[in-house]
Amino acid sequence: MTPANRRNLKNGLLFVSPWILGFAFFQIYPILYSLRLSFTRYSGFGNAVDIGLGNFIRLFQDPLFWQAAYNTLYYTVLAVPVGVVVAIALALAMHQRVREVSAYRALLYLPSILPLFALSFVWVVFVNPRYGLLSELFRLFGIDPPDFIGNPAFTKLGLVLLAQLGAGGPALIFLAGIQAIPRDLFESAEIDGAGALRQFFGITLPLITPVILYDIILGLSYGLQVFTQAYVITAGGEAGASTAGPLNSLLFYVLYIYKTAFQYTEMGYASALVWVFFIISLVMALFVFRWARRWVHYEA
Amino acid sequence: MKKTFLWVVAAAVVLSLAACGGGKVSLTFWTSHTPPDSDTLKAMVDVWNKANPAIQVKFVQVPGSETDVAKLMTAVRGGTGPDVYFLDRFTVAQRAAAGVLTDITAQVKKQDPNLASQYVPYAWAETQFKGKTYALPFDTDSRVLYYNKDMVKAAGFDPAMFDPAKGPLTLAEVQRIAFRINKTDKSGAYTQVGFIPYDTTFSQGWHYTWGFDFGGKFADLAAGKVTPTDPNIVKAFQFLHDWAKAMGPQKVQTFISTYSPPNNPPQQNPFLIGKVAMMVSGDWVLNWIRMYAPNLSYGVTYIPVPNKGDKPSTWSGGWSLVIPTGSKHVDQAYKFMSWMAGPEGQKAYTVGTLHMPTWLSLLNDASLFDPQHLFFKQILDISYSRPPLPVGALYWDALTQAENEVTLDQQDPMTALQKVADAVNPQLAQYLPLE
Repeated sequence: MTPANRRNLKNGLLFVSPWILGFAFFQIYPILYSLRLSFTRYSGFGNAVDIGLGNFIRLFQDPLFWQAAYNTLYYTVLAVPVGVVVAIALALAMHQRVREVSAYRALLYLPSILPLFALSFVWVVFVNPRYGLLSELFRLFGIDPPDFIGNPAFTKLGLVLLAQLGAGGPALIFLAGIQAIPRDLFESAEIDGAGALRQFFGITLPLITPVILYDIILGLSYGLQVFTQAYVITAGGEAGASTAGPLNSLLFYVLYIYKTAFQYTEMGYASALVWVFFIISLVMALFVFRWARRWVHYEA
Repeated sequence: MKKTFLWVVAAAVVLSLAACGGGKVSLTFWTSHTPPDSDTLKAMVDVWNKANPAIQVKFVQVPGSETDVAKLMTAVRGGTGPDVYFLDRFTVAQRAAAGVLTDITAQVKKQDPNLASQYVPYAWAETQFKGKTYALPFDTDSRVLYYNKDMVKAAGFDPAMFDPAKGPLTLAEVQRIAFRINKTDKSGAYTQVGFIPYDTTFSQGWHYTWGFDFGGKFADLAAGKVTPTDPNIVKAFQFLHDWAKAMGPQKVQTFISTYSPPNNPPQQNPFLIGKVAMMVSGDWVLNWIRMYAPNLSYGVTYIPVPNKGDKPSTWSGGWSLVIPTGSKHVDQAYKFMSWMAGPEGQKAYTVGTLHMPTWLSLLNDASLFDPQHLFFKQILDISYSRPPLPVGALYWDALTQAENEVTLDQQDPMTALQKVADAVNPQLAQYLPLE
């Protein structure tokens, strides 16, 4: 290596070193430490007692683990496809060639910048079975409003609905994807007699599949880590709430990790929960990427 | 010239810092309480600060709850924990077992070797773990049946039947009255309800309340086991299940979601606004009524009992003051704590918040209790307290899950309670022996 190259390399590493050090200390070290903790019993204070695979054995026999995993997967499997559909619909709406389109785009995007914890408080009022606006909407269509707070069968569905308020962000990305499609494709389709629907399914959809994949991965990531809404909605009540929603129906995985670590002071078990979660998420992500190869069209 | 100037400034700074260090100690005191109770605490801290210039206490409100002490734990672990913390007394054993609290046995002995005798016995018992003291008891409470006289009269019953002088009512009598008060609208949803014994969002319808009411025992400390499958606890859960079934479990849920949603403020407590005629709750509600519903026509009586002639019961909780691990001023913190948890501090808190003191001599001071509050003090004699367990929070949550399953008609009481035992006993086993 020439002296100039060596100097460049040294300077380069020097510039990157703050990030590398930060990454090593604040990301890598805690990750490895939590792996070590998952084989111990540790309250966060005093000594960590080594118990081998005890936490993992306990995990598979713990009904709350299965409940949390079920709740999280149920929510994710529902929220991700619905999210993609809503985002694409919003993007198509934002794509309309009308004069006031910028006003519509702003209006459609606005809900997604509201902070989630504030939205959660508003959500509780919004779905009040007697006085909530959403309940009035249901009654307008002659349907008995479901109890999104008190009925364990509906609490997660309610959160899926709430999550759609955040569809503005992905919608913008979809909009960019749709706008990137060359106009002449649509023009030649129209000449051949294709209607709007055929154009959508034949041209638009295949060409935005990379963005769909991106939204699915994003949605998967957010969905598996859902926490804020459940914490806000269930942390109230006299003496604190002790089940996360009726029948623990809002006990999501990350919420369960939080309770285990800080309410029951079991850092070791919480670490084991975290690692099992990591492995499951990794498998899911790998599966999604593998499956995506079949239906994603990247432009040559 | 520049250099000498810098040296002079540096020397001045160092000297002033050294002077600051002499004599004055600054403590931090954290609580997760919210107004109105936290306002009283702040006022008490101000009184202390005025009288004690050498030990200044900074009062800080932090997020948390009875069982959620995440902020405390992360702060202590990071070395930035407070010197004094306001901790729910029934979790003292659990936090002590985890190593979060400082052992104050030595300081207690130095202050007064007989300090234990100054406090209500069950309150002192909750501050102990493995023979050492980790907390000073602060306040306590008890639970009663509140009833709305107007609503009872409107349903055709004489409120005088609730008079505690006549002894407790039976659950069957209360159910008769409650079901008569229930009102529904066209769609079948409840608009007014007599009594929801198992509600925990606006009242104290906890598993412990009814388990104790039916004479159940929740733990066998000597054997190192929790005993949720105690036959009387199973009977209590069966009672809750049957009550829920008779009212329609999901319809009750909808009523609760409507009038007592998450984060509902005390001003809108369904009993205070006349939507619910009876509820089991504690003495802090007296303060709420005083502030938010002064014209409410209500009374208090014993929690209803299963059979005629049964002795009534209640249970008491309360808070305590602790010194978390890592405090650098343990002795000064203890001085502050012992004043707060002593006769002066407890008197101020009782007057300001209508909770009850744990300092025995104050309990016998009738001037501290207005007539309504007096009943709560009288039933302290028949009050249970929760077993101090190193797995207190886990046990509580597991019992709540079981109560949920039973009242939503998803599980029968015995199976639900057996699940609680299976979940909690293995964890408790790690801390044996308990003494």
